[in-house]
Amino acid sequence: MVVRDGPGLSVRLEAVTKIYTVSGEELPALRGISLSIPAGESVAIVGSSGSGKSTLLHLMGLLDRPTSGAVFYDNRRVDTLSPSERAVLRNRSVGFVFQNFQLIPRTSAIENVELPLLYRRLPARERRERARDLLASVGMGDRERHTSSQLSGGQQQRVAIARAIAASPGLLLADEPTGNLDSRSAATILDLLLSLQSRFSTTLVLVTHDMEVARHAQTTFRVRDGLPEDPQ
Amino acid sequence: MTLVILGMRSLLRNPYRSVLTSLGILIGVLSVVVLTGIAFGAKSLVLRSIQNLGPNLLVVIPGSVTDSGAQVGGGTETTLTADDARAIRRQCPDIWNASGALRTAAQVQSPHANWSTVILGAEPSYLPVRDWRLARGGFFGEEEERGMARVAVLGRIVATRLFGLEDPVGKFVQINHSPFRVIGILSSKGQSPMGMNQDDMVVVPLTTLQSQIMGVSYVGVILAAATSPDRVDAAKREIRGILRLRHHIPTGGRSDFEIQAMSDISKTANRISLILTVLLALIASISLIVGGVGILNIMLVSVRERTREIGIRMAIGARPRDILVQFLSEAAALSFFGALAGGVGGILFLDGIHLLVGWPTPIPWEGLFLTVAGATLLGTLFGLYPAWSASRLDPMEALRYE
Repeated sequence: MVVRDGPGLSVRLEAVTKIYTVSGEELPALRGISLSIPAGESVAIVGSSGSGKSTLLHLMGLLDRPTSGAVFYDNRRVDTLSPSERAVLRNRSVGFVFQNFQLIPRTSAIENVELPLLYRRLPARERRERARDLLASVGMGDRERHTSSQLSGGQQQRVAIARAIAASPGLLLADEPTGNLDSRSAATILDLLLSLQSRFSTTLVLVTHDMEVARHAQTTFRVRDGLPEDPQ
Repeated sequence: MTLVILGMRSLLRNPYRSVLTSLGILIGVLSVVVLTGIAFGAKSLVLRSIQNLGPNLLVVIPGSVTDSGAQVGGGTETTLTADDARAIRRQCPDIWNASGALRTAAQVQSPHANWSTVILGAEPSYLPVRDWRLARGGFFGEEEERGMARVAVLGRIVATRLFGLEDPVGKFVQINHSPFRVIGILSSKGQSPMGMNQDDMVVVPLTTLQSQIMGVSYVGVILAAATSPDRVDAAKREIRGILRLRHHIPTGGRSDFEIQAMSDISKTANRISLILTVLLALIASISLIVGGVGILNIMLVSVRERTREIGIRMAIGARPRDILVQFLSEAAALSFFGALAGGVGGILFLDGIHLLVGWPTPIPWEGLFLTVAGATLLGTLFGLYPAWSASRLDPMEALRYE
């Protein structure tokens, strides 16, 4: 099994706003949110669609930069880093799980899991071994050569989770991970994420609109129209 | 390195399109290689036939050149005589030997066959001037020349046509119903630069042809050999001086003859073939550029099509540079394999031409390597923009791209 490099990552957002400009019109997605997530904790971010919860997650994962405000990892400011530095940080510290899985098409499960390790310049043999272990740990050991079109939604999401934890990140970000799954697969995926979080004391941030899902997290953070609904 | 392999792997995922994309580069390289090969072949063909005539050779023909350079009545005037040839032979210090020559067409008959060919009247010095050897028998000398002897030396083709496998030496042939004794057979010489087959010919003494067959006293041409290739220009001046004196041409008057040096002709041929090669290569390069544009086009489509994949890769931790290298190596691989296949195809094509038509088609190795390398570079350069724009994508927008 994969060994964690260190404990989970603490994430802190300070008065972040995000304003999208669509054909000259300014659309605020976040109007000023401050949020602190201690290392190793699991947090559910809850809100209706359009509330800005996904944007919040993307800012945390350095996929996007806030219009104003700041993002800190373990008290180090990270939103001002260059695109290249942010890419390295995403590779080493962040694992993403998306609603629509985001596996690379026409690429086998094992190659998908190997990708983060490849960008980390790990030798091919080591990559392959580690990816094999990871797939086995999410119960996909017998589907290594399957491509995404040959896998069910639940199976794809398990491959995606294996890929997300491949680089042993301190922060696991899941954006509606069960949104495209039937209730049985959804339960399995949720269990998998939570067990990983507790086993490696990874920080887990779960974006969902489903209160039933949110209930499994240690704390819940509600967003509405780009603002916190009940400030912590 | 791993990223380069990654680029190639994504090409294999779309083999049909990859092959079609490289096809443009393939055809470009193929046409460059084939056209330069053919140009090289044509050049060596021309130079070889000029070489065949001898680099020291000067040809004096009757007629003059107008101011515009156009020749008036070249070769048809009758101002040159055997005495001119003798004077050149005796008085020019840089001329080693010279021979007047005259030709006509006639029927030649053996007891078994008859053949229409060229009868060349020449002096005994003709053979050394042309650096020509006999395959069998002998050539006529001064005595036969003076005595207008009816002797003949046959070219290879004539000998075969008239006598088949028999040895013609010592036998008789009829030229214009007069019997000529065959005294020798010329060795094979092949095509002249003007495209005439020099083996399809009968050589008789000049005097015999002039008085017994044609009834004239002029010569059609004087062939002269300079003492060495670097004395050709001096020899040319000497011949001009002597002939102008003999023909009583006043100072400033126009010569009634023209002197051509084979070395000049070969220089001109060389220059023409160089221009030809460059021109052909240039035209072929246009198809190479079209191939490069094809790569640009497909790579742009590919980046657009795989925007989400790029987004995923970025989310997982691919740096802009990683994306750039991946797409650039795709373009490089496409153009390299296309160029390589084009090069191999070009070699096969040239060999095919050689086998089918018999032209000499030397493989232009240097040009080949240069073309393959250049085409690879070109394709990679065309891939630079799409790869760069892929690396500049915003990860969030790329992930959301449908």
